[in-house]
Amino acid sequence: MEPRKDLLDIESLSSEEIEFLLKTAGPFKDLFEKSVKKVPTLRGKSVLTLFYEPSTRTRSSFEIAAKRLSADVTNFSVAASSVVKGESVLDTVDTLQAMKVDYIIVRHPASGIPNLIAKHANASVVNAGDGFHAHPTQALLDAFTLREVFPKSARKRVLIVGDILHSRVARSTSTLFRKLGVEVGVLGPGGLIPDGKPKEFKVFRSFDEAFEWKPDLIYLLRIQLERQKAQFFPSLHEYHQVYGVTNERFARVEKEGIWIMHPGPVNRGVELVDNVMRYERCLINQQVENGIATRMAVLYWLKPQTSSREAEVEV
Amino acid sequence: MSKPTLYRGGKIASEGSSRLRTADVVVDKGIITQLGAGLRAPRGSDVIDCGGKLLMPAMFDVHVHLREPGREDKETIRSGSEAAINGGVTGIVAMPNTDPAIDNGGLVQSVMDIAAEKARIPVFTSGCITRRRAGEELAAIAEMKEKGALIITDDGSPVCDPLVLRRAMEYAREFGLILASHCEVMELSGNGAMNEGRVSYQLGIPGIPACSEEICLDRDIRLAQHTRAHVHIQHVTTARGMETIRRFKKEGVKVTCEVSPHHLIFNEEDIRDYDSSYKMNPPLRTKDDNKRLLKGLIDGVFDVIATDHAPHTEFEKNQDFGSAPFGITGLETAVISLFHHFIRSGKFGWDLLVKRYSAEPRRLMGLPEAKIAKGEKAEFLVFDPHGTTRFTKQYMRSKSSNTPFLDQELEGAIDRVVLGNKVLVDRMKRARGK
Repeated sequence: MEPRKDLLDIESLSSEEIEFLLKTAGPFKDLFEKSVKKVPTLRGKSVLTLFYEPSTRTRSSFEIAAKRLSADVTNFSVAASSVVKGESVLDTVDTLQAMKVDYIIVRHPASGIPNLIAKHANASVVNAGDGFHAHPTQALLDAFTLREVFPKSARKRVLIVGDILHSRVARSTSTLFRKLGVEVGVLGPGGLIPDGKPKEFKVFRSFDEAFEWKPDLIYLLRIQLERQKAQFFPSLHEYHQVYGVTNERFARVEKEGIWIMHPGPVNRGVELVDNVMRYERCLINQQVENGIATRMAVLYWLKPQTSSREAEVEV
Repeated sequence: MSKPTLYRGGKIASEGSSRLRTADVVVDKGIITQLGAGLRAPRGSDVIDCGGKLLMPAMFDVHVHLREPGREDKETIRSGSEAAINGGVTGIVAMPNTDPAIDNGGLVQSVMDIAAEKARIPVFTSGCITRRRAGEELAAIAEMKEKGALIITDDGSPVCDPLVLRRAMEYAREFGLILASHCEVMELSGNGAMNEGRVSYQLGIPGIPACSEEICLDRDIRLAQHTRAHVHIQHVTTARGMETIRRFKKEGVKVTCEVSPHHLIFNEEDIRDYDSSYKMNPPLRTKDDNKRLLKGLIDGVFDVIATDHAPHTEFEKNQDFGSAPFGITGLETAVISLFHHFIRSGKFGWDLLVKRYSAEPRRLMGLPEAKIAKGEKAEFLVFDPHGTTRFTKQYMRSKSSNTPFLDQELEGAIDRVVLGNKVLVDRMKRARGK
């Protein structure tokens, strides 16, 4: 396995690399039960989070992951207002190059920005979500969580519900699931199920139809109404009626023992009713915990090109 | 006084025949004075050995962006015309989406004046259909025509209001002006940056659906049909759109159209890794469109080849794919890339290139064709099919180098470009005549 500088998407990962990452995350997770949760793996290395989109959860998850590996973490604040059009992201990259950081965790509303940064930086770049493109660490934590429930994931059936068009989570997670042999079905408002989706996706018209397919797990996507200029569906209320896990649908989910995942944060009463959160097969909090472990595995695995020499500064 | 020049043993390409005829050509004082086999070099002449090479009429591009006035950092009339020359193109029509937009006679005049002073080839301009290209009020159409504008267009955007376009057609028709249409339904294109499809989904880039172009194209041709105006559809990219044009042509509608080299050569698959030198509007479509557009070019749906030469600075293009501006340069790469991709492998002949990129564009603009014939003005290029060209920044004369061909080496080389008594490009080794 060749060492890799960056993690930008799921497509480019080999199955060997995926297995390595999923396997490595396990011991890191075991660490969380110990009184000292830290290992010295990245001591002396600097990790910088560069978030052009607000996200407390993902940023904190990366921060905790880096700190548990003993790295120094800096949050590079990019005020949304200062990001004027035409301002060059590459100027920022030059700044970071000069700061000699080893890892850049980047989130940006434009697809492909991490690729651009990775081309110009010696630091390892981890894509923490770019536009509609990719969210590879989310996919890895989802896969890790799936494996915890189904150690043999092949031919399991996962139904992804919601905004497939705008979701980088749907792109990355479904890609990784398919690489693990999972069968993927999708359900959502017509305009949000793009024609360009992978041919292997099974498309359902309704929840009833999807239930007949006997999914092992339902992955609910967060619906973001603010992304929609011309509406894709009339209202959140109607969305819930047609594509949400209502009380009636939850009864069926419970009866059939279907597992539930959601990348968070959850819109209660839209994607799902409150009861689902207390369902014993609801994996949402487990996903959060696994997020830290898999991100530790990612940082552990990547090899920055910042420095090959060991520290030899004399004081 | 310039000496006569004998071009010896070259193969002459023409629009009329796919067969190349080997002949010697004598140019004296800018005129082709002799043409035939085994000519004797006139006394004191330069002799150029053209064995294995081709002589063909120089090209004409009806769709280029020269960026002057307003964005002289991207291109000027001077640099853009030099780029044309470098690519074997000796006549160009500038688009009016400058800053300010060319929407009145004064601006047309000023572009013509600058061109007369700075350019070594004829540079023509188009004028806007609507004032400031805003799509609301008609621009000073008659005045621009009077000052020399060859066509009118709001290129870069469509005229969104169909009634405004209808009025423009009815008005321009009376002056014999062609309306060139950039076809796009802005609401459908939205913030799209590439073709909507499998690749846009994978890259997470908002898509521009094919129907955005096709609906507008359909609308514009129907308006031309209704108003009996001549509409010219710019940069057609979808096979379905092309079929619409074919159908209306059969019905006798005055519709002509163009295809660009990049829409024949590249498709959405090339955009992997977010390379913004593949970003233009209308966008690269599918592999199937490539194939069918090529077939359309061969069977004659497309009247002309035009590059939509659209220079942008490296700084602007070096952004994420969504933010980078639309457009790629094309003047310097058109002939060579078409040779490399199509002529070399016999997909089409030299006659097609001459017809669609030299003769027909000039006819469309109401200009005399460039011809390699006795008594004609010398306006041709010498092409070496055994040479190669690497499109480095040093090679290119455009101020910008936003082309997918940057630093690529392609088969074919333009050795010489001749216009009248001037040799505009000379990369040939010369032998002394006797």
